[in-house]
Amino acid sequence: MTTVHEDPAGTRSGARSGVRMPRVRRPGWLRLRDTRAALPFAIILAIYIVMALAPSWFVHAPALSSDLSARLLPPGTVRDGVTHWLGTDQLGRDLLNRLVYGTRISLAIAFSAVLCAGAFGTFLGVIAGVARGGVAAIIMRVADVVLSIPFFLLAILTVVALGPSLINVVICLTLVRWPRYTRVAYAQTLEAQGKEFVRSAQAIGASGPWIVWRHILPEVLPSVIVVATLELGTMVIYEASLSFVGLGVQPPTPSWGAMLSDGREYISTAWWLTTFPGVALFILVLSVNLLGDYVRDRLDPTEQGRSR
Amino acid sequence: MKLFYSGTFRYIIGRLGQALLQLFGVVTIVFVVLRLTGDPAQLLVPQQATAADIARVRHQLGLDQPIWAQYLHYLAGICHFDFGYSYVQNRPALSLIMERLPYTIDLAVAALIISVVVGIPVGMISAVQRKKFLGRAAMPLVLIGQSMPAFWLGLLLILVFGVWLRLLPTSGAEGLQSLILPAVTLASLSFATVARITRSSFLEQVGAEYVKTARSHGAGMGRVLFGHVLRNASIPIVTLIGLEIASLLGGAVITETIFAWPGIGQLTVQSIDARDFPVVQAIVLFVAVVYIAANFVTDMLYSVIDPRVRITAAEG
Amino acid sequence: MKVQAVRRPASRRALGRSLSVIAAAGAALIALAGCSLSSPSSDSGSSSSSSSGASASSITIDLANYPSTLDPGLQYDESTYSVYRNIYDQLLRRDPKTQQPEAWIATKWSNPTPTSWDFTIRSGVKFSDGSPLTADDVAFSINRMLDPKFNSPQYANFSAIKTATATSPTELTLTTATASPTLLTYLTTLSIVPKAYVQKVGDAGLNSKPIGSGPYEVESATSGSQITLKRNPDFWGTAPSIPTVVFRAVPDAASRVSDLQSGQAQLAADLTADQASQLTGGSSVQVLSAPTERVAYLALNTLGDTPTKSADIRKAISLGIDYDSIIKNLEGGYAKPVGTVLTPLSFGYPDKLASNKYDPAAAKKLVQESGVSDPQVVFPSSPSYDPQLIQAIQSDLKKIGITVTIQNSDQATYLKKVQDPKHDWGSIRFGLWSCSCLDADGVLYPLFHTGTIWASYSNPDFDAAVEDARNTLDKGRRASDYAKAIGILNDDVAGIGLYQVDAIYGASSKLSWKPDAVQSMYVDQMKLSK
Repeated sequence: MTTVHEDPAGTRSGARSGVRMPRVRRPGWLRLRDTRAALPFAIILAIYIVMALAPSWFVHAPALSSDLSARLLPPGTVRDGVTHWLGTDQLGRDLLNRLVYGTRISLAIAFSAVLCAGAFGTFLGVIAGVARGGVAAIIMRVADVVLSIPFFLLAILTVVALGPSLINVVICLTLVRWPRYTRVAYAQTLEAQGKEFVRSAQAIGASGPWIVWRHILPEVLPSVIVVATLELGTMVIYEASLSFVGLGVQPPTPSWGAMLSDGREYISTAWWLTTFPGVALFILVLSVNLLGDYVRDRLDPTEQGRSR
Repeated sequence: MKLFYSGTFRYIIGRLGQALLQLFGVVTIVFVVLRLTGDPAQLLVPQQATAADIARVRHQLGLDQPIWAQYLHYLAGICHFDFGYSYVQNRPALSLIMERLPYTIDLAVAALIISVVVGIPVGMISAVQRKKFLGRAAMPLVLIGQSMPAFWLGLLLILVFGVWLRLLPTSGAEGLQSLILPAVTLASLSFATVARITRSSFLEQVGAEYVKTARSHGAGMGRVLFGHVLRNASIPIVTLIGLEIASLLGGAVITETIFAWPGIGQLTVQSIDARDFPVVQAIVLFVAVVYIAANFVTDMLYSVIDPRVRITAAEG
Repeated sequence: MKVQAVRRPASRRALGRSLSVIAAAGAALIALAGCSLSSPSSDSGSSSSSSSGASASSITIDLANYPSTLDPGLQYDESTYSVYRNIYDQLLRRDPKTQQPEAWIATKWSNPTPTSWDFTIRSGVKFSDGSPLTADDVAFSINRMLDPKFNSPQYANFSAIKTATATSPTELTLTTATASPTLLTYLTTLSIVPKAYVQKVGDAGLNSKPIGSGPYEVESATSGSQITLKRNPDFWGTAPSIPTVVFRAVPDAASRVSDLQSGQAQLAADLTADQASQLTGGSSVQVLSAPTERVAYLALNTLGDTPTKSADIRKAISLGIDYDSIIKNLEGGYAKPVGTVLTPLSFGYPDKLASNKYDPAAAKKLVQESGVSDPQVVFPSSPSYDPQLIQAIQSDLKKIGITVTIQNSDQATYLKKVQDPKHDWGSIRFGLWSCSCLDADGVLYPLFHTGTIWASYSNPDFDAAVEDARNTLDKGRRASDYAKAIGILNDDVAGIGLYQVDAIYGASSKLSWKPDAVQSMYVDQMKLSK
């Protein structure tokens, strides 16, 4: 009696999505001598997080109001005794200021989306793995259904239906991304249940929730974290993409995606409008991706990359 | 053997049933979500229209019926392969998709070729030269494309190759040269994925027992690499490529918009914008069918190559 | 254990070496492929642009959208009519200078009674399938749009017409239910389709293979991408100077600008002022613009439960907006000041109407006196409207003590919200209005008359004035009706005209063409020099 026999969907969908569930080498994943490679990216991410938490350490109060006479000033312009180091945008607002305050918005969206989708998806996956049978079939079928609708189309539809706002962007990204975590968590839960220590826990009559909490979750989490790290960068990009179709966060709230998207019509005349938010976003996503690759390597060198 | 065949048959029937159920789910979700997004009639009338004009259009399109009646009507239509008429263009939704499909296929295939041509060598290098500079620099390089929003990358490419160097057309769909920029933009999103999967399956294969055996029997490294490693490592790569085709065929909304590429992605956004429900529904159904079919085919392929899956299938 | 195996130095080095060789070979292959791909492309690229430059044999026009149909009885959006107006003839055209309706397919007209009109149809006009254009075709073109089953979105424009009958091949009689002062102006948008052909091939047939009598006929079309038109050899009027026209759909405005800069397109529609400013530097491109009858306006909710219920707040808003700064800085001068929700091009715009005043101090005072403490207003918007402008207004109003919250949604949701008869959509909305009719009736009535889908305003005196003007042909009486209506509207501040919009096109400097007030894109009026 194999786990596969119990429910064919999990392993097959795992195989077909290209996400072969990592065989985790738990104890060794934070061996010090190997963290050197990841250090620079971790530092970059840390700087971004500090910028998001305390933007006022870097720049003055947020420039939400516009000044049409100061539009599109190039970087370094001094106006009324104020130096605009990165220039001003199409409404005369200081770009550096918006960029720093935008960090908060972009990171908030990415982290919340990953956290919500990760928690929700993992929860469902573990439930499916523990309950099996009909419950698992329903949960995994729904996950399949969501995955077979083109992601961006579903994202547009949900934001349109909900109305675009910061919260709704997060809700939308959660609604379309949770199945990724569910699949991983489901397969890991099935695998964990086959393990000796879980069986012995069951044998001595430990309660279900306790087993899940004490034994299954620790087995599931590392793989979920791998997916989550890689998803973090993706979420930043998708927030920007939603801004491109006009469905991102609301003006005048600065998010890098919105700044980049609004600035694109000035790409050949006011290069700074797209270059700075673009580079900020680029460095973040690249760091997160490399960090994600690193974490995955530490957890499981044979894991086969993420599905899309 | 008999068991295997009957098992396979049952497996296929089971999968078919699952696929139909999945399609039903997709159709239902999209139908409901679409109805939450607003009223197409208001968008179809000229702005000086009266409330009566809007009501007339709504009635004409059947949007004044209760939602369950619309839903049943829609389902009945699908069973007869009738996917409805576009509200905006007054033409069958299916024929609109079919007109756009060749462009999307061109773009998807070109993007796929680029991601394979770039992704596989990079993945191989970074796997084999893990501790060397080349191996370490390779992955960050392919990640560059994935770390930029497609609309920004696309515009930069247009600016450099279209406006400054004037080597390639800035937009449109006329011939091979106008395919290059959109294909590169689209591929940049997926070659990192291909590189990653190549890298990890190579790491797995290179360490496998048979490689050591082959080497100890004096086989040349090149022969081992191409005779064994690449073939075995290719299974997950093929799986991934199957899925990439499916997702690329769904249309690249942003890339197609930036480059004015008349594929399904552009049609999707325009149809959502105009609340052209029948067209959006038909596109989603079409993509879901392609996706599910691609899954099915790769699964079949997988089970042919990897016996374990086949045995599993027989058991189930 | 797999990792350990990889760490075996000998195999790794060997593997690495052979891989490097493969990679190098691969790179060389890619480079080769790149060369072979890019060289013909640069050749053909330059040859195509030089050929179009040398002989001016064709023009490429970038539109924002692909025409949603080529059946002129159906859609009436800018990208669609830009194309089909070149294929079909209209009953009337406008004089480019005075904007008055002038003869085109109809050579003469008269109205013997206030509700009946006789038109003389030009003889000798042929459709591109060789059949002659008669009054019967004109009547058919009108009647099919009046047929509820045809479901024409243009129904509202022609619904004043009661009957359309051909009394002879060259005589057409129209009757209207009541006197209709805007009939002629809407007839400039009536494209004539061949009756016999449409009856033979059906509406879908006309759409897929359009036959008209206009200066151009369809040569080929790639759905969603481009339509190529060629000169109609049998055109009755002056032959157009450009033999071939390619209309392309390029949805992203930044890409349209790139197309112009790279010489891929010779004309691009739908540009913003900022994009125009990018084009003014170069010598190979120019900006063409013309004031249009389109007005940018704010509508204030006077009926719902919002701060704008207070007349003081509404007055304050109208005084608190820096109109000149918007026109100069944001619209780059491609806009003109107005004094109400109408442009001077439209009939009914009062002669000596003063432009809007900007007086932040008075506005601030009004807010304080209004009795509304800390007024918070909601400003719904959609991606169709310039977010910069809305943010500029938001920041102007902040300075006078009104806090504006912008609520963006997509167009359909936006329409559902602001057209809801409950009037709970918020306080201020922005809009761009054009009726293609150059008459106050097409602006004031649908926007502000009680009970219309857009109006969150109700004033019986205003209603009486616009109703009276709607049902008489007497120009003097209509003018005074509108002067009165606009006076009431401005006193109530139910709407604020922000500026008159210029249509902005980017063009090759070799193109000579004068855009007009209704944004019609007649290619037969264009010349592209060598």
